[in-house]
Amino acid sequence: MKTVRLGCGAAWARDRFEHAANLVEHGGLDYLCFDSMSEVTMSAAQVAMMENESTVPYDPYLVDRLRPILKDCKRQGIRIITNQGWLNPIAAAERIVLLAQELGMDDLKVAAVSGGLLHRSIADMGLNFNETGRPIAQSKDQIVSAEVYLGAEGIVQGLEQGADVIITTRVADACVYLGPLAHEFGWSFDDCHAIARGMIIGHLMECGTQVTGGYFADPGYKDVPDLANIGAPIAEVTETTAFITKLPGTGGIVSEATCKEQLIYEVQDPAAYICPDCIADMTQVSFRQAGRDRVEILIGPAGRPKTDTLKALIGLNEGYMAEEMVLFAGPGALARAELTKEILRRRFDITGLDAEEIRMDYVGLNAVHRESTPPMPGEPYEVVLRIAIRTATRAEAEKLRKEVDPLAVNGAYGTGKWATTSPGSRVRPIVGLNSALVPRRKVPFNVTMHAVAR
Amino acid sequence: MKTIALRELAHSRSGEKGHDSNVSVIVYDPKLFPLIKEQVTVEAVSRLYGSITKGAIRRYELPAIGALNFVIENVLEGGRSRTLAFEESGKALSSLMLTLRVTVPSDTPERARLRAREAS
Repeated sequence: MKTVRLGCGAAWARDRFEHAANLVEHGGLDYLCFDSMSEVTMSAAQVAMMENESTVPYDPYLVDRLRPILKDCKRQGIRIITNQGWLNPIAAAERIVLLAQELGMDDLKVAAVSGGLLHRSIADMGLNFNETGRPIAQSKDQIVSAEVYLGAEGIVQGLEQGADVIITTRVADACVYLGPLAHEFGWSFDDCHAIARGMIIGHLMECGTQVTGGYFADPGYKDVPDLANIGAPIAEVTETTAFITKLPGTGGIVSEATCKEQLIYEVQDPAAYICPDCIADMTQVSFRQAGRDRVEILIGPAGRPKTDTLKALIGLNEGYMAEEMVLFAGPGALARAELTKEILRRRFDITGLDAEEIRMDYVGLNAVHRESTPPMPGEPYEVVLRIAIRTATRAEAEKLRKEVDPLAVNGAYGTGKWATTSPGSRVRPIVGLNSALVPRRKVPFNVTMHAVAR
Repeated sequence: MKTIALRELAHSRSGEKGHDSNVSVIVYDPKLFPLIKEQVTVEAVSRLYGSITKGAIRRYELPAIGALNFVIENVLEGGRSRTLAFEESGKALSSLMLTLRVTVPSDTPERARLRAREAS
């Protein structure tokens, strides 16, 4: 029976680099898959390009990730699936072709899966934001980016055309795994149980080491060996079985518990996990420890037909934010932080700061769980006052640092400061994300082939 | 009977989905799932997260793996892209869930003690 081995080369744009090289060297893989996106990736890339014209429209780590492995992958017949194409997969594919030439390779086929970019058209589609119900058209002038989550069909088409590397724009993260599985097993996209099975396997893989013991360790409760050397996951899939494992000799752990945590990660209704190519029912999934660091994924009939819409993320220009921190320690630290908070409130009044929101937290006390933080007995030894503001204009946001830096000489006893020597602005533009559902028929995709001439 | 932290009976993971976060509760021992289901209710979870939740809290069940999934709407102050909250990813929210107090039979094993015994 045919077995397909897929490895996770990266779980997001700034994941550790060595996973891919280790998997290529020791993994016996058929496919190496990269997810390089989070929700904010495309809007951030759009902003970066607006601020600096020389910014590449694809993942800036594209070459860094592929250079060490491209030749070995081709030699071993490991096909690469990656969504690092971001805003321009064709430009990314051309860059990969150039990289292959730089590496002296005389044969490489790259497929670019493009489409789904709607920043110029979405305001005129008569759609509303999911979050607010308001017409997108009302926010037309604020739109910075808009893209849908495409499915896996473009990846399958690229593989059918013999591509060694498939580089895509935004696809649902798990599709970089579903695509090769659908291709290898010849699944029809109308076979919703098969597609859902591939999507669930992909969902478990897409966050990389989060299924092999990353984001899991809780000393004394959930211990994980050798996290500094954690191994990325490998999925071993046949038509009827699927296993998650990792390379021998690497750190981390693959257990039923790590798989269960990842199954529900960033899922809303688990019985109706809506994907571009199907609706998957996660309640049909269970796990069986099949060996050391080896877990079988048991998947019942989990598929329902896909919806007739695709989810789009829309990035909106929403002004600016700035954040500063002031540090206190020792006896009276909290009282001095509280005094500083009052001084700043007064200064914001005096200087007429025009902020849409001001947030002040005590790091170490209540900055993470915020108002839900349980009461703490006793006085903390250290307190960091953290101040964040949101404003309509950059100039207004700059006012925060102009009030915080002077606290060094105008503020409370024992006022410590963070990063005072770093010059320039710490103001960040805000591109707020909303979502919408776009009729599938309005979102075409296309696959183009790019090759090193033999 | 004894009242202990949920952390002794279950583990949890959280993340973001737009403006919302989801927080799972997964029992270590499947036999305890009915008891957890009975006590880790939307009401109980609202007492933990209610003051930072601007929307509804919904609970889903995954009996095949002994897990609950809570969707906590509008808990991220507009989501990662625009929140002024110090922690923007929702990934640190699950540890609050594990502070929930649950009442269980006195002989129910507690995770920390079990792990300590395994280690020694």
